Amino acid sequence: MQTMSTCDPAIPLAALPIGAKTTIIGITPNSRGSKKFADAGIVPGNELFIEAHAPFGGLIRIKILDTSMALHREDAKNIIVRNPEVCHA
Amino acid sequence: MRKKFRIALAGNPNCGKTCIFNSLTGARQHVGNYPGVTVESKSGTFMLNDLEIELIDLPGVYSLSSSSPEEAVVFRELTKTGIDLIINVIDSTIPQRSLYMTTQLAELHIPMLLTFNMSDDARKKGLQFDIPKLEKYFGSPIVQTVGNTAGGVKALKDKLLDALAGLDDHGVPMLSYGKDFDEAIQEVANKIDSLNIAEYQHIPSRFFAIKLMEKDSCVMQIKAFQPAWDEVENQIRHLREMHAIEADTFMADRRYAMLAGACRDTISSTREKRREISDKIDLVMTNKFLGFPLFLAIMYGAFWFTFVCAAPFMGYIEEFFSWLGNLIGSWWNPVHLPYLRSLIIDGIIAGVGGVIVFMPNILFLFFVIAILEESGYMSRAAFVMDGVMRRFGLQGKSFVPLVLGFGCTVPAIMATRTIESERDRKITIMVLPLMSCGARLPIYALLIPAFFAQKYQAFTMWLIYIIGVIAALTGARLMKSTIFKGDGEVYLMELPPYRMPTLKSLLFHMWDRGKMYLHKAGTIILFTSILLYVCNTYPEKKFTPADEVRIEAEALSGQNAENIRKAEAMEYTISGRVGKFLEPVFKPIGFDWQVTTAAIGALSAKEVFVAQMGILYSEGEANEESDGLRQRLRENYTPLQAFCIMLFCLLSIPCLATLAIIRKELNSWKMAFIEAGGLFALAYISTFIVYQLGTLLKIGVDKLG
Repeated sequence: MQTMSTCDPAIPLAALPIGAKTTIIGITPNSRGSKKFADAGIVPGNELFIEAHAPFGGLIRIKILDTSMALHREDAKNIIVRNPEVCHA
Repeated sequence: MRKKFRIALAGNPNCGKTCIFNSLTGARQHVGNYPGVTVESKSGTFMLNDLEIELIDLPGVYSLSSSSPEEAVVFRELTKTGIDLIINVIDSTIPQRSLYMTTQLAELHIPMLLTFNMSDDARKKGLQFDIPKLEKYFGSPIVQTVGNTAGGVKALKDKLLDALAGLDDHGVPMLSYGKDFDEAIQEVANKIDSLNIAEYQHIPSRFFAIKLMEKDSCVMQIKAFQPAWDEVENQIRHLREMHAIEADTFMADRRYAMLAGACRDTISSTREKRREISDKIDLVMTNKFLGFPLFLAIMYGAFWFTFVCAAPFMGYIEEFFSWLGNLIGSWWNPVHLPYLRSLIIDGIIAGVGGVIVFMPNILFLFFVIAILEESGYMSRAAFVMDGVMRRFGLQGKSFVPLVLGFGCTVPAIMATRTIESERDRKITIMVLPLMSCGARLPIYALLIPAFFAQKYQAFTMWLIYIIGVIAALTGARLMKSTIFKGDGEVYLMELPPYRMPTLKSLLFHMWDRGKMYLHKAGTIILFTSILLYVCNTYPEKKFTPADEVRIEAEALSGQNAENIRKAEAMEYTISGRVGKFLEPVFKPIGFDWQVTTAAIGALSAKEVFVAQMGILYSEGEANEESDGLRQRLRENYTPLQAFCIMLFCLLSIPCLATLAIIRKELNSWKMAFIEAGGLFALAYISTFIVYQLGTLLKIGVDKLG
């Protein structure tokens, strides 16, 4: 798990723990599958909830626009979300 | 008014589209493949009053982009073929997501009927729709339906009649991407208009302008649009100066923003969002610790149902065919057309009957698969297993077909249709024949007790299966790093809410697949049965008086004269000659000509190996219980040879039915030939190494008999 100690206001989706609720900031431009993710509703402003991690690693299950979707941790690194942790300067 | 219409059914995956398709068309369906891809095409016809309607069930997709083979197919169907009307099915419990594709369909200016499906669930969820406002917004009539009830279809049919009557003056959607974006789109559209592309006159240039700005790969491939590319770049640069946009995804952003606005005005929710029952079930089913054991338990249950519960029915069918054979045999006097009589009884009834016996297996299997799929569990199983399978170059959805492969490879290959990724699907299909199928079991069951001591029997059986599994996983790994190299499709899988499947649709799916199996039995199996029968029977050896004397003499040494005669006649037939001819090739892997003919016969169905050995070793009706045959085998072969035979049968070319289904599913003769050649090479080389090493190290080289 990536540390959030730097307290970056924008972090990759892959770094979030189960149960985290956040808002999408953007997708790394021209990354693998960016269009597919955008079509599925992973666009800036939409809310997202981390539902579960798969038993043998790899897959992350998220809820977006009322639908559960599973995607890979590798791809989830390209999805940038708002850090739900409050940053204290 | 016209009498014939082509209507396309479009919508997201899991929106209840198939259910609507089935209730509209009933049994009058045609299932096939789109040329060049493994996407299933489905169409059907039905009458609406006196109108004849051809309904095309498009693959379920989230968008009209071309980021998957399915999306490309939908794009082609809608733009190239003349579609009179689109029925867009919307899951009304998640309107914002479902309507995303609607915005793109509306831009095609093909008349549309929006079907807000599952409206009862939406009501329970507290969603309320301002239908007149939504109709105005999308410029299309809307009908609310309730999943699979007859009432819902009636409303849809009525609305469809209205829509077909008013095809010529359908409404115009009020879709706006925002002032600056609309202006940019208009500039590109003007440029396209100036090109005068005849082929796409029937679709507004605005649609193609939007697609070009999205860099949609299907539209980018159309040469006619190339002169407009510069204008597209200009407009994107211009937009980027005014707005902070990402070049590849900004149209999707704008569309969702547009929809969020539209939904705010027209859809209201009266209830707080709460955790749904489906999510609660998943806390257990996909739990980090419980998920895997539960998956194994469910798989075990599915297997038990398929093989144990179907067994009595298989017994009835078996009895029926032997009764039928006897009936014809007693009614048809052998003096009339004896060859035809024998061909029908020993060739066709025995061959085709032997395959139809497995029909209950197939039906039960697909009943279970239908339950797993329609309840929504299949995608959970994929979620749980993905991490394990990915290590071998496969993915979560490959697991279920691979397990089914232990039963029968043919339905297992059909079950790979649930894998969306074309490449993962191909790899799964290619390695599936290595999972030792049920038809190979009789071979092991015949040989293992004959050649291995009691305490090693279970281990040997286990070893054979494990070798198959290891070969399959290694093969998958190898293919992923060689011929199917590179990044695959991005994995994004929806986990739809659990639903209770209806018995009607379960039976429908079961029969849908069962029909295909019966069709196979009536065509390819019928043909190979006849062919094998002929090869095993002709040319007939005429025994001279001298032969008779010799046979009588040999019979004195304890053998049955009739059996000797049978074996010699066999050697004289086409099969026998082919076996003799090929013997030098198979000698290095421990096969004599008898085993060679049996291995060739096993191409039609693996069980034939046992039957063929039985005929050759003159025990007549052989099955895996034949102790006499086992004794004869012990006298003629060593344990090492027996192991080599099993290894070869496990790894070598699968039965013709499997090859035929591989060709059909991969849509390529080449792949079927590569598969056959590759497996033969694998089997030959492995068996060669084992036989030669075993001979060298003197392991199991002494005959037991």
